[in-house]
Amino acid sequence: MTTEKLALTTTSPARKPRSGGGGDNALAAELTRLLGPRKVLSSLAERLSYRFDAIQFGVTPLAVVLPESTEDVIATVKAARRAGVSIVGRGAASGLSGGAAPMQPGVVVSFTRMSKLEIFPERREAVAQPGVITLAVTDAARPHGLIYPPDPASLRTSTIGGNLGENAGGPLCFKYGVTGDYVTALDFVDAEGELHTLTRDAYDLAGLLIGSEGTLGLITSATLRLTPPPKFTRTLMAHFAEVGQAAEAVSAAIAAGAVPGKLEFMDQACTNAVEDYLHLGLPRDAGAVLLVDTDGDDLDTVEEERALVEAACLEAGGVVRRAEGEAEAAALWQARRSVSPALGRIRPQRMNEDIVVPRSVLPEVVRQIRALGDASGLKLVQFGHIGDGNLHPNILFDPRTESTEAVHTLAHEIALVAIRHGGVLSGEHGIGTMKRDFMRDAVDPETMTALWNVKRALDPSGALNPGKILPEEPHA
Amino acid sequence: MNNDIPVQALGPQGEVMAHAVDACVHCGFCLPACPTYALLGDEMDSPRGRIVLMKEVLEGGLDLLDAAPHLDRCLGCQACVTACPSGVPYGELITSFRGWSEPQRRRSPLDRAKRYAILKALPAPRLFSVAARVGQYAKPLAPALPAALRGPLDLLPEHVPAMQPSPPLTPARGQRRGRVAFLTGCAQQALAPNFNAATLRVLARNGIEVVVPEGQGCCGAAALHTGARDEALRLVRANLDAFNPDDYDAILSNAAGCGAGLKEYPVILHGLHDEARAKAFAAKVQDISEYLAGLAREGGLEPFMPASRPLKVAYHDACHLAHAQGVRAAPRELLRMIPGVSIVEIPEGDLCCGSAGTYNLEQPELAGQLGARKAGHILSTTPDLIASGNIGCHTQIQSHVRRQGSPVPVMHTVEVLDRAYRGEL
Ligand SMILES: Cc1cc2nc3c(=O)[nH]c(=O)nc-3n(C[C@H](O)[C@H](O)[C@H](O)COP(=O)(O)OP(=O)(O)OC[C@H]3O[C@@H](n4cnc5c(N)ncnc54)[C@H](O)[C@@H]3O)c2cc1C
Ligand code: SF4
Ligand code: SF4
Repeated sequence: MTTEKLALTTTSPARKPRSGGGGDNALAAELTRLLGPRKVLSSLAERLSYRFDAIQFGVTPLAVVLPESTEDVIATVKAARRAGVSIVGRGAASGLSGGAAPMQPGVVVSFTRMSKLEIFPERREAVAQPGVITLAVTDAARPHGLIYPPDPASLRTSTIGGNLGENAGGPLCFKYGVTGDYVTALDFVDAEGELHTLTRDAYDLAGLLIGSEGTLGLITSATLRLTPPPKFTRTLMAHFAEVGQAAEAVSAAIAAGAVPGKLEFMDQACTNAVEDYLHLGLPRDAGAVLLVDTDGDDLDTVEEERALVEAACLEAGGVVRRAEGEAEAAALWQARRSVSPALGRIRPQRMNEDIVVPRSVLPEVVRQIRALGDASGLKLVQFGHIGDGNLHPNILFDPRTESTEAVHTLAHEIALVAIRHGGVLSGEHGIGTMKRDFMRDAVDPETMTALWNVKRALDPSGALNPGKILPEEPHA
Repeated sequence: MNNDIPVQALGPQGEVMAHAVDACVHCGFCLPACPTYALLGDEMDSPRGRIVLMKEVLEGGLDLLDAAPHLDRCLGCQACVTACPSGVPYGELITSFRGWSEPQRRRSPLDRAKRYAILKALPAPRLFSVAARVGQYAKPLAPALPAALRGPLDLLPEHVPAMQPSPPLTPARGQRRGRVAFLTGCAQQALAPNFNAATLRVLARNGIEVVVPEGQGCCGAAALHTGARDEALRLVRANLDAFNPDDYDAILSNAAGCGAGLKEYPVILHGLHDEARAKAFAAKVQDISEYLAGLAREGGLEPFMPASRPLKVAYHDACHLAHAQGVRAAPRELLRMIPGVSIVEIPEGDLCCGSAGTYNLEQPELAGQLGARKAGHILSTTPDLIASGNIGCHTQIQSHVRRQGSPVPVMHTVEVLDRAYRGEL
């Protein structure tokens, strides 16, 4: 495992200015001939702007295509295939695993202009092109009394295509599920440039595409399920002396039958980071803070569930605060929403883990990760969708003063803790390049072979987003 | 964002730029806020893309000329600063970058002449007034002129008013509550002298003595944001000489762009010998609406006469007020104090109207698209009146609202207050 693989942000040594030399490569010229100049970017300044996502810088693509239709995507894939170069799909590039950062010089297909969205209230569905911004679906559905529940924290920026690529989730996913649970059909263009329509009957091939991070095909349209929003929501916050207690409270509350809409936690380091940033009056001494919403259409049940959660928190030794009105609830949730920016202020970079473990082992896992963090000397914070067992241990570091190798080692140790406890490497951010090396620990050789067989069946020449998810086969 | 910006070689502004690049985690949260991204939909015309381009140029990996078209399209509206969760000081980055890069630009003679004219005319109200008058007579010729010249002509009001210089001292009416210095602004004096007259009347009525210090000039923002750093420094220092912050409770501006410029002085002078003076100065600078809202909170304002009929006011957030200065609540609070006035919020309210200083002159096409979009959104609220706190927005919105066939009046916030005092609303 090399630190180079980590390459969180590749810094380039001082170079001589290169000039743009727009369209000087044959591929860009061919694409421009096929699609017209409006849809093809070929100058250096343009291409440099499509080599990163929210975690990593990759290599500069040879050309960037901004398709406006499925036909444009088909033509692009066929042209790239003829030229023998790789193809990387890109949404808003808010991904946190390096998914949209190209690892080889090739074509980047940026879907931001494919943003057509239709709402069909009578069948409670939306049909979205991949470039539709996630929040736009709910915005368009709300006048019809419907919403689109998957709610990644990046929902104002990220696209439906990227959400499908990563099978994105959010706080609501404990009760309402993740992106994949809302997709009833999708269209994709395969590595040959052929268009397919998939529904979710027979073999769940749509399910295969969801979360495949652009390594099996390019999604050009998705039919999404919409639901009416819950009528009532109640909020509470609880804090605990120690992280494990919070995890115990969660397990107990769920065992008692509560199904909260949202169940989030932040550890002490995380709470303090937010407090330093916003001064909300959070309990700085607490080892962990839980934030819980119960929701539904029947107020009595919603209150009852909140009481169950409250009892479980008190039982585990927590201090509970109920939000009395919407304003107080919003103020409590502001803390959770501000985690990312608050962390951004501590160190310039972070390695954002995304493990999922069974709820029964949460206390143990959270404690072990804390201990690893303390022993490493690096700054580590934990938060996440604890209701699903989805934890985001974040290692905060400054690559100029701290060793990226140490960061990678700690990240690997954290991944191993999850795997040892029957967990998986990614809940919602994907594997990308960031956790690709850890896949061998998480997946047995037979399963890995099966994964490679699927990949080869759909993408024999390995042109689709190479370098992502699957580590090179040992014999390859 | 990791970078190899040679800070040492770039001097104090290099520090400012490297710090901004460092702070960006390339999350993309700023993209939906950016007007050029909304229009063009590509990464290099987004805030994150521009930060990457500036980093590349500063590191020496990309030729300035290749990055320039995308950087030139930035309105400097700072909507991205409001949206950024990591607190990236984008405004400081682009301003410093423009100052650093402008001397290296090779511009066409027409381009250079245009920029020279803007830079000379804007800070000189008399010259601007004359130019505006000439322009006014040239208006009928507009269809025959090249687009680059048509843009500015379109913006000129039907009648360029006579200059009304502000008196050096306006005494407080009744008991004196405070003493402030007032920056009279440049283009504004020529295009809308009534803004200043209204400002002086409203302040005096509330017991504030207003001094218009001699020797003050242009705030320097236009020069700075077009990259004319030396010119900007000259103007900044002239103002630091003219305004002694110790003499006043506050230094007021009623033009959002100028106010934001004045508050930026410490960044402009970062690492230079006048930095401390600039900090003391900037600490006293307030927008007229901030100051009046402050007065309202401490002891109240003189009561307004009710509007003659219920008035729905569409309040437009000027970028340099809302994003650059963070002033959103104060103007709304003030307008709501007038009996009979209600405020409507404008769809896509955070998106720039396209005026942005000299943008209309430099990027007429994008400016026009944004202006039309803004006017459409404003008119969709069917307002009785449009209010805003910036001369640039004022002219842009007025021109596009008229073009869409609406006669709704467009006023400065302080003009609305002034009219309410006089029972003319
Ligand atoms: C501050 C912050 C908070 C975040 N919070 C969350 C969160 O709460 N939950 C969560 O799940 N994620 C979160 N993310 C991660 C990220 O926003 C999600 O992974 C999101 O789904 C990515 O969408 P995007 O449009 O930005 O996709 P991109 O980053 O552009 O792409 C993501 C992947 O999808 C592939 N892809 C994109 N479009 C297509 C397509 N049309 N067809 C096939 N493949 C495609 C790309 O190749 C890439 O592998 C967060 C990110 C940030 C920066
Ligand atoms: S929101 Fe801030 S940190 Fe994120 S890309 Fe934009 S400027 Fe950078
Ligand atoms: S200042 Fe305005 S135009 Fe420029 S990048 Fe930021 S949001 Fe876009």
